[in-house]
Amino acid sequence: MGVVLAGCTPEAHFNANAVLMHKNENAAKETTEFSPQRRADIANTLVALFGTPDEPHIPAAPGIGEDDVHQVMDPRKISFAAGSVSSDEQGRARGLYREHCAHCHGVTGDGAGPTASFLNPYPRDYRMGIFKFKSTPKGQKPTHEDLKRILVNGIPGTAMPSFLVLPENEIDALVHYVRYLSVRGEVERLLIDYATYELTPQTEPSEDDPNPPPEDRLVNLEASEEDQESQAEVIRSFVSEVTQKWLDAESLATEIPAPDPDRDLAKSEAHGRELFYGPVANCIKCHGDSALGDGQTTDYDDWTKELDPANPELVAQYQKLGALKPRNIHPRNLRNGVYRGGRRPVDLYWRLKNGIDGTPMPAVLMLPENAPPGSKGLTEEDLWALIDYVRSLPYESISNPRLAQPKPNNQRERS
Amino acid sequence: MPNSVNTVPFNAWPHRVAVALCCATFPLIWAGGLVTTYDAGMAVPDWPSTFGYNIWLYPWSTWFFGPWDLFIEHSHRLLGTLVGLLAILFVVVVYRSADHRWMRPLAWGCLAGVVLQGGLGGARVLLDERHLAMIHGCVGPCFFAFTAALAVMAGADWRQTSPPALAGTGSRSTRGTGNRQPATAAGLSRLATLTAGLAFLQLVLGAQLRHISIMAGPGQFRVFVFFHLIVAFALLAHALLLAVRSLRLGPSSGKSRLPAVALALFMVLQFVLGPATWVVNYGWPQWVADMPFAVGHTIQAKSLVQAMIVTAHVAVGSLVLASAAVVATRAVRLARVEVTAVGSTAMFVGLAT
Repeated sequence: MGVVLAGCTPEAHFNANAVLMHKNENAAKETTEFSPQRRADIANTLVALFGTPDEPHIPAAPGIGEDDVHQVMDPRKISFAAGSVSSDEQGRARGLYREHCAHCHGVTGDGAGPTASFLNPYPRDYRMGIFKFKSTPKGQKPTHEDLKRILVNGIPGTAMPSFLVLPENEIDALVHYVRYLSVRGEVERLLIDYATYELTPQTEPSEDDPNPPPEDRLVNLEASEEDQESQAEVIRSFVSEVTQKWLDAESLATEIPAPDPDRDLAKSEAHGRELFYGPVANCIKCHGDSALGDGQTTDYDDWTKELDPANPELVAQYQKLGALKPRNIHPRNLRNGVYRGGRRPVDLYWRLKNGIDGTPMPAVLMLPENAPPGSKGLTEEDLWALIDYVRSLPYESISNPRLAQPKPNNQRERS
Repeated sequence: MPNSVNTVPFNAWPHRVAVALCCATFPLIWAGGLVTTYDAGMAVPDWPSTFGYNIWLYPWSTWFFGPWDLFIEHSHRLLGTLVGLLAILFVVVVYRSADHRWMRPLAWGCLAGVVLQGGLGGARVLLDERHLAMIHGCVGPCFFAFTAALAVMAGADWRQTSPPALAGTGSRSTRGTGNRQPATAAGLSRLATLTAGLAFLQLVLGAQLRHISIMAGPGQFRVFVFFHLIVAFALLAHALLLAVRSLRLGPSSGKSRLPAVALALFMVLQFVLGPATWVVNYGWPQWVADMPFAVGHTIQAKSLVQAMIVTAHVAVGSLVLASAAVVATRAVRLARVEVTAVGSTAMFVGLAT
């Protein structure tokens, strides 16, 4: 009965980024197609570098010491997170990713697990290497603490749970595994782009060229040793490039100068309000005049923009390859006091100072040091005023009409 | 009219053991649900032993004070052995009862069911195959429903061969016979059987969701959710209708009223637990996402509340199936008794004229 309905359980495997391959096929100047051979070369390369979901492997990164690579992807911790779910007599768990994460984020970390289509927002696709809520500037990777914070706190208003009950070593293992999937995903993207734009595709025989040369192989074991080494060097450089970014992130966390604790909060909020509606921060452009998040609602996040959402025909093609239906991204309603990346003042500081990667939320324009008079930008004091104002929004009377009532609601008014 | 009351003293032991068996199976179902909820299916890697120990000799201190998933999985296995022992006892008492000779194949079937379930559980562990866990999770509630039906069939009133006295409430007239009982009993029987079938289908669909492969695509999950919802509403309608019809029959329902009402209440409870299961796992649905209670809601993974709600939904699903089985068992019996009674009466009338 169960066999009829559900079939046999397929072995866990990483899915290829077929959407990006198809996108590149459409976008390449010369018509190109990812032939079965090219797809197999990419898949085999990735297995050689990163292993499988049951037997992960940490690739070497030329120019980066093994200890540093393991700082990003610790093989022992990843072995706990990988594979199928089990535990030993001491309760040491394995298969953590499959137990806690894969149903939403997918085995591949592509954000397309079985439950994904029901979730709003969609689960994160790690393969672009972009993460929203972090302490580092725009374009940089998150730190270890950033990812850990998301796992421990969850993301309110979304399907991302808080894993506060898990022991710290399991959270740590999951962070390493998420980075492993992200590195693997980014390297795959680089391989696909390389195959698209650097390797000669297979062309069909024609009258002018009845015997076209075979396509350039990503890995050609029949090529000369020199050529093979050259190819391998290119592939390994992708691993180094991506891994180095994760290493660099650990030292790039935005430092937060403390605000003046004796500042007049009311004045700060008033100044913040001016900035909120002013031309420099220009928050109302997206968050709306009333800060309800209705300034604009037609934009997309970076994961969705890759699906060419303005082109329904392409979207349909991508959906057939496993992409989820595009959705607009909506600016946050600032009047309900819920901030997905954290509600501490420092969290808001990071969101404003660094922006939110992958979304239209920009980093606020800061005044450079020693800027000439008349330069546009916010000072640190301005930034804290803006934060004070944003934090006051849920408590404004417009946010809660009951607070605006001068009398209790059950008191009968007498004319 | 033939003598409708059996005057041989009734051996109540098969009934008692069947009730004990049914009552012991429910915590086993619940423990099985906890195994899946806490992903404890592979907490013990060997079977039928437990980390090399005989299942009954595993050190109790490790069982009680060791890892939580080990506690659940070993408890589940121990409860399984209890049910197995009760199933063996059931075979023994049935064989020793003259009143229950006809139940001997059923008793063996019960024992075979326990052995099958144990084997499925063992295979799941030895092969590390979640697909078998899903089948194990579907067969378990079936077995539970079977034990409930056995308890009904082993009871003293099962021997009764004449129909209960007409209450004269809500019986519909049939054409030609002048006897209003048989058509209603037959209708109840059909409705109860259909409801039991729907309950099983719903359980299987729920199992597909719970045990869906991580390699499944979003589309496959959507299909199962869609049908799980459709069948939920169909099952609720059937359960309510069954309760109404049973209540209308009154005492003529052959003791179907209580289990039918229980079934309806369990279904109402499932309509609370089902959405609650979704919310604790995936958050509030989009159409209430902007409401104050939803906008800041953070799911707490592996929390006690999450575990209890999800497992309760599974366990009450088994109660739904078992209640439906009890109603169907009684209703089918009632319909057959009525057919026999009508036939006997017709023969008597024919002979008399």
